[in-house]
Amino acid sequence: MSKLKDILTPFTAWNNLARDPVTVKDPVNDRPGSARYRGFHQNDIEKCIGCGACESICETGAIRMVPVEGVETKEGDSGLRPEVDYGRCCWCALCVDICSTGSLTMSNEYIWVDEDPEAFTFVPGIDPKPWDKEEKGWKKPEPDYELNIKERVSMPQREAEEREDSFIEIVKGYSREQAIAEADRCIDCGICQATCPAHMDIPDYIRAVREENLEEGFRIMYKTNPLPEVCGRICTHKCEDVCAMGHRGDPIAIRWLKRYIADSVSQENYQQALQQENPQDKDKRVAIIGAGPTGLSAAYYLALMGYTIKIFESQPRAGGMMRYGIPEYRLPYDALDMDIDYILSLGVDIQYNTRVGADVTLDELHENYDSVLIGTGLHAGKSTRIPGTDHKDVHQAIKLLREFSKGNEIPLARRIVIIGGGNVAMDITRTLARLQNQKYGEVHIITTSLETEDVMPADQEEIDEAREEKVTLRPGWGPQKIEIENDQIKGLHVQRCLSVFDENGRFSPKFDEEDQAFFEGDMVVEAIGQGMDISFLSKKVREGLDFTQRGRLMVNDWFQSKQEWLFMGGDIIQGPDVIHGIANGHKAARGIDMYLRGDLRYDEGRNK
Amino acid sequence: MQDIVDKIRSRYDVSEVTEQRENLTFVTVEKDQVVPLLMQMRDQEGFSHFVLLTAVDWIEEGVFQLTYILNHPGKKVDLGIRAHINREHASMESAHHLWQQVATYQRELKEMFGIDFPGSPRVDEEFFLEGWDHTPPMRREFDTKKFSEQTYFPRPGSKSYDPREYMKQKLYCDDYEEEQ
Repeated sequence: MSKLKDILTPFTAWNNLARDPVTVKDPVNDRPGSARYRGFHQNDIEKCIGCGACESICETGAIRMVPVEGVETKEGDSGLRPEVDYGRCCWCALCVDICSTGSLTMSNEYIWVDEDPEAFTFVPGIDPKPWDKEEKGWKKPEPDYELNIKERVSMPQREAEEREDSFIEIVKGYSREQAIAEADRCIDCGICQATCPAHMDIPDYIRAVREENLEEGFRIMYKTNPLPEVCGRICTHKCEDVCAMGHRGDPIAIRWLKRYIADSVSQENYQQALQQENPQDKDKRVAIIGAGPTGLSAAYYLALMGYTIKIFESQPRAGGMMRYGIPEYRLPYDALDMDIDYILSLGVDIQYNTRVGADVTLDELHENYDSVLIGTGLHAGKSTRIPGTDHKDVHQAIKLLREFSKGNEIPLARRIVIIGGGNVAMDITRTLARLQNQKYGEVHIITTSLETEDVMPADQEEIDEAREEKVTLRPGWGPQKIEIENDQIKGLHVQRCLSVFDENGRFSPKFDEEDQAFFEGDMVVEAIGQGMDISFLSKKVREGLDFTQRGRLMVNDWFQSKQEWLFMGGDIIQGPDVIHGIANGHKAARGIDMYLRGDLRYDEGRNK
Repeated sequence: MQDIVDKIRSRYDVSEVTEQRENLTFVTVEKDQVVPLLMQMRDQEGFSHFVLLTAVDWIEEGVFQLTYILNHPGKKVDLGIRAHINREHASMESAHHLWQQVATYQRELKEMFGIDFPGSPRVDEEFFLEGWDHTPPMRREFDTKKFSEQTYFPRPGSKSYDPREYMKQKLYCDDYEEEQ
């Protein structure tokens, strides 16, 4: 039986005669790579941001980042693009798998004949190739396979019920494990650094977190930012907007990692970690007006250079808007004081309760000091000037925040209407909501802004958290008139706002007069922006300054004014936010140093 | 497949079972149980075809993971047998007497990972790399990029730019110099 089987078995192969061949019919002309073949590279140039992750991962050194024609270097895009050398490439496709934007792919094309060996080095997507449009080939397989970790380590926060009547800090901060895990997501490309106004060495301090070398991280931060406790909490983190990881997942929590480093070094170890002193070896003296981010930052860097510094501050404590504007639940005073105390420990002198223009004149400072820096910020609240704003129960947000920070009691009605859509509006909204909760056990606040929610200038997290704290937000309404009856405020009349800016980007709100509403309230707070108060500039000084057509003060790249001894920075020049102030202070400090060495002139410094 | 896994469990120290898919299961056993288990699978359970032998370098744990894959032609299922061996002086009992072709895989692992299989035919002969006098290249401490850069020197004139430094030069470099 088995013999018969042995004889017949080979004939079963004849079955195959009827099957379709598995081989290619025309192997000379038609031999495509398989659908997921790792063939020649393609790059979507518009999508690519030149982060260089492909180059970093390439084990054979086949990729180089090069400038290419037609691609501009700008924030969020290095302007470089990968060039592939097929003399080195091993087609492992790790470059495709690690690509932060998903722009780099491989086609299934694998035949390329050329007599010129140099031709095999090319920039995919820039140098035209027949396979540029090929759909088949190796793409990043999603979603199961991912070399990059897309989700950020979430930040532990106090829940709404726990925080709605309390000024205790909301954000709790990362643990060691959380910080290392988050730092591990960073691909070390450094795209963020150009966008940070202070150009902090972000990849370096993130690496320090990864390697648990926190004192080193602390030193790295102080090179460009002497207020890391502050920025680790309330920085506007523009860096995160351009993070390479943000293209396909969450950007790295750069701000929280900064906070982690700053919080990890205890105050008594600052000196040991930074190893700095003020040699005071220069005989030049600099006066700084305002102990806000700009003034403190400049004072820090000037002190390290050896200058004698004196800050004139109108308020009883240092910090400016950081203390008198930002509520404690976002930035606790303890954290702010750690930064400030270290700067003052370098021998920076500070005279409180001294308003330049009233207690001392700018001309006196000019006489007694070799250079003066103005960093006075924007403290004058703007008014909508609608009918009724002169009523005693209409207040300026910035003034209420300042008084509350000083520990003074502030007016608090049962029902409050707040006008404004920026972060200051959110700050006063959430502050008053907490106070209402404490006093009345309930929140009755309507916050309204011209802007609809998608274009409100406030940070999204501020908006979300305000809602969680039971505040009513009514974005997209323009205030018309405050209703007053028997000298009591009854509420705010508004009409629908259709657009805020005209086509030239100028402020020119358009309303739908048919669509009206009335927000009830016993008190109105305006938080529509702040202006500067530079009344302390004497006529003589003012006449020697340059102003833009719109009346803004003009300075050169080093924040030097046309009065060459006078420098200005911070919110009055740029921003407004803390990190611009810090960056301006740092740059102004270097400008002042050059000026005092006789190396800086207003015109030469400008437009270099 | 479950009955085979149960049989293996009853006689060997199985530390892990991974059912990869319906027709492929991995079992992890002690290093010195691998060859007896292979033999039992071949002679008594019908896993007559040897598919492959490969290794993974778990450098953080200080071990190599060896994986032997066997195929049962009748049932059309694969069984992977895994074991961990020390990275230091890595050595494993040879299985070439069970299937002749195992010797070839063992020779490859010797060359690529430096794992020795004493007694395996031609195990010390060059297999794929000619004149290699470096760290075995599949060991993770072997720095492929460094080797590549040292061995295959760059084209003359070629240059790569660091995105971070390039952006600084283009966007925000200033000419401040500290006083010496």
